[in-house]
Amino acid sequence: MLFVRPGRLSDLDALAQMARAAQPVLHSLPHDRRELEARVALSEDSFRAQVDFPGEEVYLFVLEDSETGKLLGTASIVAAAGYAEPFYVFRNDALIHASRELHVNRKIHALTMSHELTGMSRLAGFYIDPSLRGDAAAHLLSRARMMYIAANRRRFTPEVFSLLLGVTDEAGTSPFWEAVGRKFFGRDFAQIEIASGGRSRTFIAEVMPSYPLYVPLLPDEAQRVIGEPNEKALLSYDIHLEEGFEPDRFVDIFDAGPVLTAQVDRSACVRFNETKTVRETNDSALRDGRDSRESCAYLVASNREGDFRCVLAELPSGRGQDAPLAGHARAALDVMHGDAVRCVLLHRGAREEEGQDPNDIGSESFSAPRNHHSGDRR
Amino acid sequence: MIVVRAVKTEDLDALVSLAQETGPGLTTFKPDRDALAARIERASKTMEGRAAPYEAGYFFVMEDTATHDVAGVCGIEAQVGLEQPFYNYRVSTVVHASQELGVWTKMSLLNISHDLTGYAEVCSLFLSPRYRAHGVGGLLSRSRFMFMAQFRHCFPERLCAELRGHFDLDGTSPFWRAVGSHFYQIDFNAADYLSAHGRKSFLAELMPRYPVYADLLPQEAQDVIGRTHRDTAPARKMLEAEGLRYQGHVDIFDAGPVLECYVSDLRTVRESVVVPVAIGAPADADGVRSLVSNTSMLGFRVGMAPGGVEAGAMRLSADDAAALEVREGDLVRVLMSSNKPKKD
Repeated sequence: MLFVRPGRLSDLDALAQMARAAQPVLHSLPHDRRELEARVALSEDSFRAQVDFPGEEVYLFVLEDSETGKLLGTASIVAAAGYAEPFYVFRNDALIHASRELHVNRKIHALTMSHELTGMSRLAGFYIDPSLRGDAAAHLLSRARMMYIAANRRRFTPEVFSLLLGVTDEAGTSPFWEAVGRKFFGRDFAQIEIASGGRSRTFIAEVMPSYPLYVPLLPDEAQRVIGEPNEKALLSYDIHLEEGFEPDRFVDIFDAGPVLTAQVDRSACVRFNETKTVRETNDSALRDGRDSRESCAYLVASNREGDFRCVLAELPSGRGQDAPLAGHARAALDVMHGDAVRCVLLHRGAREEEGQDPNDIGSESFSAPRNHHSGDRR
Repeated sequence: MIVVRAVKTEDLDALVSLAQETGPGLTTFKPDRDALAARIERASKTMEGRAAPYEAGYFFVMEDTATHDVAGVCGIEAQVGLEQPFYNYRVSTVVHASQELGVWTKMSLLNISHDLTGYAEVCSLFLSPRYRAHGVGGLLSRSRFMFMAQFRHCFPERLCAELRGHFDLDGTSPFWRAVGSHFYQIDFNAADYLSAHGRKSFLAELMPRYPVYADLLPQEAQDVIGRTHRDTAPARKMLEAEGLRYQGHVDIFDAGPVLECYVSDLRTVRESVVVPVAIGAPADADGVRSLVSNTSMLGFRVGMAPGGVEAGAMRLSADDAAALEVREGDLVRVLMSSNKPKKD
């Protein structure tokens, strides 16, 4: 069974392998073994630390197969992005150009360098083994982080964000970089991406535009990709939307990839959390239960003595207080009969339930219409 | 003699019919009777000293004294931007550099500016196609500098001239396509028309308020920043010969250049002299010709006469003196041509 737990120094070999396999490079998963080791050590300290407000902590999670003990993915949370340094993004501003005399009223989008996300908690360092089939594992690994945040609110900021890979063409070139970044840096995107090692280095301020960029004045190819996720990031994008993240307020300064933000209070893992009591059951009983009553996939998380675990499990739907869990799930969660677990429905197919989220803000898109927002990619 | 003189109320009919020769495209001089009447009235007020600084503007007509045919116009605004703001883009340079990355890039930035506020502006030049020969274009253009030289106290320290920007053969402006068109729901001609009719500041309010990185614009738009319309190239040459220079200000719609200069640096101001008139047949001029103006404001007249200043006086034929409304002993301002005369 797949489960998510905090990474440990003993995971270092597997993590190093993932770091090498990740394409493009993940800054939160350094190639250099020493740096990686420091990162994991920092994460171990962070999980253990008594934290009253977010600071330098980094929380690194791994996805493990309990049958083989093999690690199949990793994901992180940075408690305060750009800690001690500004974190740069483009803010998408709408400027109204209006003249009553001329009967003109236009909304013009402009991208302005912003530090607004500095210090905000950030989901980062997502890597999942490409051999895993289906989307369930990706949902589990990505959203386990929000399950952790929901259970440890003081460790994180009330709003969190996530930066996804932007669109590149077949040759790996980013049309947005070609139209904007290249003019300022005079280099290939990949070179800068590696040199930058993140979005918080001060050279960005020295080199990137200090004035807003009027979106309509950019070439069409560049306009089209603003806020658009890379094909490789489409699943991630949808997972974030499902969790309650909103696109379109910010985009990445290099490739204009989406920067998604969520008020933790409004995220699925907080709003739809149900605390349930573990009830022992065996596999066959569950199977029977599935036959007789309706059951749904849930994210189920435990936090016994600070050792966070998260799995996907089939639980009876409805508002029952019980969480009947089979032996391997109880083992993965390290819980026993009578323990409390946090449960969140994996897919709230029922978007119609209780007063629709004000997700409509998402309709304020930049330029070209987006199709994948609505498309259910499952 | 062909003279350029201060406009008079009686010129209205002639101006309306002259304006009909402009055809489409030129929007500063249209056969709009009311607008032209107002322009004449404003010029009269200005010369009589009754105009407030924000409205002061001079207007001149070119007339063939033999036929009384009015063949051209030109004007000077005493100080631009005092009523409605005078908008331009200033093309400035920004360097983005990082020692850490070894990056050094130089870019052009277009900043909305009112830098030229309070400058005098030479403008509204139109010459009938029937007269586009024999150097009368030069006379028409330079007449304004003769006027400024004579009445320096009426003008500020500096002047400018806006030139039409580059247009493609299909009559559209690449700069407008890349910039202005995104901020309006009207086409260039409509914008230009409003602009010529005192609505430019309305339009400018719709333009980008933040600086625009020129380097991020399409190449075709970058290429025409500060470039002159092909029909305007001769006018630019003439103004440059007079001492005006492109200093990085361009029009906000078509990116045509604005030429600038200190009034005291104008060739006409530096080189013209004031001498008395001597009536008589000019001596053998050897092809030398001079711009000659009288020194009256309301009756200002300037024309081209053979010869130059000799023995401290300007010798004029009786006809030319009559055309310029000067008599023996009156003072005239003279600018001797330094160009080799054209062979007829």
